[in-house]
Amino acid sequence: MTAPTPSDHRGPAATRLLRHLSVGGAVAPLITTIVAFFVGGLVVLATGKDPLTTYKAIFDGTGLNWLLPWSGDRALAATNLQQTLINTGPLILCGLAVAYAFRAGLFNIGAQGQYTMGTIAAVYAGSSWAGLPGWLHVVLAMAVAALAGAAWAGIAGALRASTGANEVITTIMLNYTALWIGVYLFGLGGPLQANDQPDVPVSNDIVGGAKLPVFWGDKDLQGLHVGIFVAVLAAGIFWVVLNRSRLGYEARAVGFSPPAARSAGIGVGRTYVVTMAICGLFAGLAGSLDILGWQFHLATNDISASQVGFLGIAVALLGRNTAIGTCFAALLFGALSQGTSVRNLDPAVFQPELAQNLTTVIQGLVVLLVSADVLLASVWRRRRARAGGGGAAAAPPTPTTLGSVSP
Amino acid sequence: MSLVAAGCGSSGNSSSTSTPAAAGSTSTAAAAPTGKKIKVGLVTDIGGLNDRSFNALANKGLGDAESQLGIDGRVLTSKSNADYVPNLSTLAQQKYDLVIGVGFLMADAMGKVAKKYPGTKFAIIDVDQTSLKGKPANVEGLLFKEEEGGYLAGYLAALYAKDHKMTTISSVGGQKIPPVDHYIAGYQAGAKAADPGIKTLNGYSQDFVDQSKCKELALGQIGQGSGIVFQVAGQCGLGALDAAKSKGKLGIGVDADQAYLGSHILTSATKKVDVAVFDTIKEVQAGGFKAGTNTTFDLKTNGVGIGKVSAAGTKYQAQIDKVAKDIVAGTITVPDTVK
Repeated sequence: MTAPTPSDHRGPAATRLLRHLSVGGAVAPLITTIVAFFVGGLVVLATGKDPLTTYKAIFDGTGLNWLLPWSGDRALAATNLQQTLINTGPLILCGLAVAYAFRAGLFNIGAQGQYTMGTIAAVYAGSSWAGLPGWLHVVLAMAVAALAGAAWAGIAGALRASTGANEVITTIMLNYTALWIGVYLFGLGGPLQANDQPDVPVSNDIVGGAKLPVFWGDKDLQGLHVGIFVAVLAAGIFWVVLNRSRLGYEARAVGFSPPAARSAGIGVGRTYVVTMAICGLFAGLAGSLDILGWQFHLATNDISASQVGFLGIAVALLGRNTAIGTCFAALLFGALSQGTSVRNLDPAVFQPELAQNLTTVIQGLVVLLVSADVLLASVWRRRRARAGGGGAAAAPPTPTTLGSVSP
Repeated sequence: MSLVAAGCGSSGNSSSTSTPAAAGSTSTAAAAPTGKKIKVGLVTDIGGLNDRSFNALANKGLGDAESQLGIDGRVLTSKSNADYVPNLSTLAQQKYDLVIGVGFLMADAMGKVAKKYPGTKFAIIDVDQTSLKGKPANVEGLLFKEEEGGYLAGYLAALYAKDHKMTTISSVGGQKIPPVDHYIAGYQAGAKAADPGIKTLNGYSQDFVDQSKCKELALGQIGQGSGIVFQVAGQCGLGALDAAKSKGKLGIGVDADQAYLGSHILTSATKKVDVAVFDTIKEVQAGGFKAGTNTTFDLKTNGVGIGKVSAAGTKYQAQIDKVAKDIVAGTITVPDTVK
């Protein structure tokens, strides 16, 4: 097997990208989603309710019916869609944080911890420096949050590069470390605990100037902030970095085969660190959106209750680690979570307590099916490699080579 | 349009829950359904209705009010803290007469929404109204002296421990927040009062939902010699009680009477959230609502206490009753902060 030269790789990488963006790349995730919803429908049926009515009610609850101008209550649909999109922004970014690592053959389970570090940094920056002009304050707070996430993820990258410590383990551990740092900082008597609420384990509120502008809905009642655009923009940057920059090229080369990349002159260790840091940028930015967009402060229980970083794994898997796929997968998960909220689902249609579990069932099925899909693809590839005799390098790599995580 | 939405909600409720209950209550209390038909919304915190303690109790209070006072109730559960503001404001928008928030975690959202809807009456459990931002005048805080129930539970636990050669008892809190620490402070003070030599362990799971976290903490405490585990962590705490059961130790429930979990439950430190919810609804129905202030429920008003004492603990009942009397009389003052 000869070491691939960069020119060898541009071909497969480009065709791979095409495949992702073509119908072929979208079909598998679509089937996955449909099957997940179908099985979810069977669950609904088992509870004695009508799956179609239930799904219609959930769909209306997501606010996506706002896009259909003939739908009923426009004001309610608008409020719902705002909440859906508020969920979606950080999900996109956490999805990107996981997806970018996947492309370099790394499994970033630590988006949650990186997100947490982002929220901590954002709340600190947002509640200090009160004299700054608004726009500068927002941008600075977001930058600080992204850097905090990057530094946090970079630790896992550096450990992988220097000691070979598996990033799956280290990122999981760093999730806990981030959680406990937050609990220490904002807990009673902690250094960043609110000055005016001595009995409450919460941070100070961010100042008015550090809040992201709300462009749709009531700004006092969790209207939609501009964070969704930041997230979509970040997805664009993700695509450019991954496909049009040296950094992304090196990351993908390492993802294909670390030994091959090394013999092609790519610093594999350095790529691990940089890749993880870029993942952390996305996840940290996600944290800043929630803090600067609607939460405005951080309580210790907010930190432990947040799941967005973990959901990012499912988002990346379903989105096939592509920018556009991640955006749609994030919208799906963000909408599901909003659509099954109790305030939108009439108990007569479907019991709201069950509806929330239905969301979890569907999410779980998606992850399960996507994983099965990846497993099948890798088995198929291995068979072909065996049949073709050493054709592994020539076979197109699957989009999500989970197998490449193990050294 | 809000009428339509509200109509849907109430028809759903009546078909599923309130009709049989209302039918039952007409036979027992004939005067009940004549009350003014007000709409009451309840927003749970992220613990959810299946926590078998705090939120479940609030929901029971609402259910009782539906059947006995003839009000229309609707419960909105919250999956994440992002749900608090939309949940509270949805109910306010739909012109609910009273919106009740369950729990300390919702304080901030309550402050914002109450300010936005000054015409709606709000009540919030476990939150000091004066601690809300802007101290909105349309909010009533419903507070409990949890430390008094905790004291009784701790006293009983230490008496039992002394007789069974246990040196240590422990508590698992969900988070170091006032309503949790009140319980634990009372528990520790009660235990020391019964047996000054007893050792008390305490830990926080930082979680009110995930049972495995509390279980892990409790197992650690049992490993350090704890013979009785007091859980103060809602649904998460059920894991702590499970740990006690699996290791052949005793547990103490919280908020609701959790004796039904088995004979390993020595007793429960109770907090009658259902009574508080019911009383508040009744108040609003009668046109008298103590907005802009707090109502405190304590041992004296039967708002806190201990639940069923298991067979293992019944021989201490007389001693516990005496301590309870002393607390009510004011001869024992119970601390409410954990050292």
